[in-house]
Amino acid sequence: MLRSISIFSGILPIIFFILFFKRNRKEGLWVILFYSFLSFLIDNSYNRLPVVIVFYVFSTFTIIEYTLFTIFLYRTVKEKIIKYILAVGSIIFYAIAIFSLFSEKKETFDSLPASVESILAIIYIICFLYEQIKDPQNAFIYYSKQFWIVLAFFLYFSSTLFLFVYADNLTNEQHNNYWNINFIFNILKNTLFSLSFAMKKKDKTAFSIENPYSDLY
Amino acid sequence: MNFLQLTNAGSSVSLVLFFGTIGMLALTIGLIVFIIFHQRKVIRYQLRLQKMEHDQQKMLLNASIRLQEEERQRIAADLHDDAGPLLATARLYLNENLVNLDKTSQLQSIYNAKSIIDDTIQLIRNISHSLMPPTLKNFGLESAVNDLFQKISGSGSMNASSRFHDYRERLQAENELIIFRVIQELVNNILKHSNASFIHLTQNTSGNRFFIRLHHDGRGITQTDFEKLNKSNVGLGLKNIQSRLKVLHGKIFFEKDMSQTYYKVTIELLKEEEDKLGG
Repeated sequence: MLRSISIFSGILPIIFFILFFKRNRKEGLWVILFYSFLSFLIDNSYNRLPVVIVFYVFSTFTIIEYTLFTIFLYRTVKEKIIKYILAVGSIIFYAIAIFSLFSEKKETFDSLPASVESILAIIYIICFLYEQIKDPQNAFIYYSKQFWIVLAFFLYFSSTLFLFVYADNLTNEQHNNYWNINFIFNILKNTLFSLSFAMKKKDKTAFSIENPYSDLY
Repeated sequence: MNFLQLTNAGSSVSLVLFFGTIGMLALTIGLIVFIIFHQRKVIRYQLRLQKMEHDQQKMLLNASIRLQEEERQRIAADLHDDAGPLLATARLYLNENLVNLDKTSQLQSIYNAKSIIDDTIQLIRNISHSLMPPTLKNFGLESAVNDLFQKISGSGSMNASSRFHDYRERLQAENELIIFRVIQELVNNILKHSNASFIHLTQNTSGNRFFIRLHHDGRGITQTDFEKLNKSNVGLGLKNIQSRLKVLHGKIFFEKDMSQTYYKVTIELLKEEEDKLGG
């Protein structure tokens, strides 16, 4: 039941993006739309895939998921040092992902790349939030669409981190029980994506008071 | 509930996974809540600062408008009360009946009218000089300040001296006038409120910064008093100083001398800023 809801929640962001297309087209959210679409496709076809290729499908999806998330974040952050961290982290991630893809031990789930992805994503998100604290720009953080996207990923990656780390060591019963965490936070992630796509962009600065005297001096 | 049953079964993996996930989630939510509240606090603080700055600008603008009005009233009063009656008297001497008077009376009337017109010219010159001191216009800030201080010393009420250490090049005329008005206002305040026995003004530069310092031994104010007065509805002269300096992007500091005997006022301007403003 939870699994089905999780799979079908994946269509929500796509619907909301299309419904509020005008609000999202200039916001650089295409990568998230593409990610949602791909995620929906993979989740939907999981049961129909032959067992031998499940690992490769998951591994490829993890790489694409990481890439799309990193592109999104790279375009969102402004500080060069964070962009540099993203670049260095990506080298580490791709090295591990490729190593995992060609390693001999093949499980059904790509635990190592998924765990590394979660850890790196959490680090990147903390960097993003640090940038927001350091430079509050002109608006409250929750007025930005990007914040809700990042929040969705933050909640998803932090809640599934331990699940992905221990995925290979779980018994079938444990796997079935604990994988509900993934489903719950996948639903939450898709809901937050939808919320982000639906919200209006605040053009005006949140706290800037018009200064009627600025031209007098 | 199922998760806990699994942990009770003794699986250490389950335990780590369960508490690890709960811990990570708690940390994530905690971090997000902290960031949101922190940012709200920072933004609210910035809002308050902006509002305070706008209020102060409004106050400065009001002060400047009031001062302009007072100056206009003073000029109007000078013209109406002094120049008006003088010219009216001159007109009386030069009325139509003058042609019917004898030669001596005619000459006397003309002489009186001429004398009154001379007085009026002098009066108008004084008004004009108070609006724009000719020494300042023709010879610059240094001469105008020296002139002002000589007049104060000459009155015998106070010993006033000034020394310009590095004023080889004149500033832009309009900026010199602003600085001169600020010095005038400060000196007026010292004369009116401080009960000082001397005022000493020095000018010097350091790099691209231009300094004017005023020392006096009377009752003065410190920076805290200045800021308080600036925020209050009193202290029109000080607000006027502030608004004039704002035009030049200058700063003013009021402090007590290290020896705690003298009060010191420092005006600081950026020479580059002055050049830019002067065009």
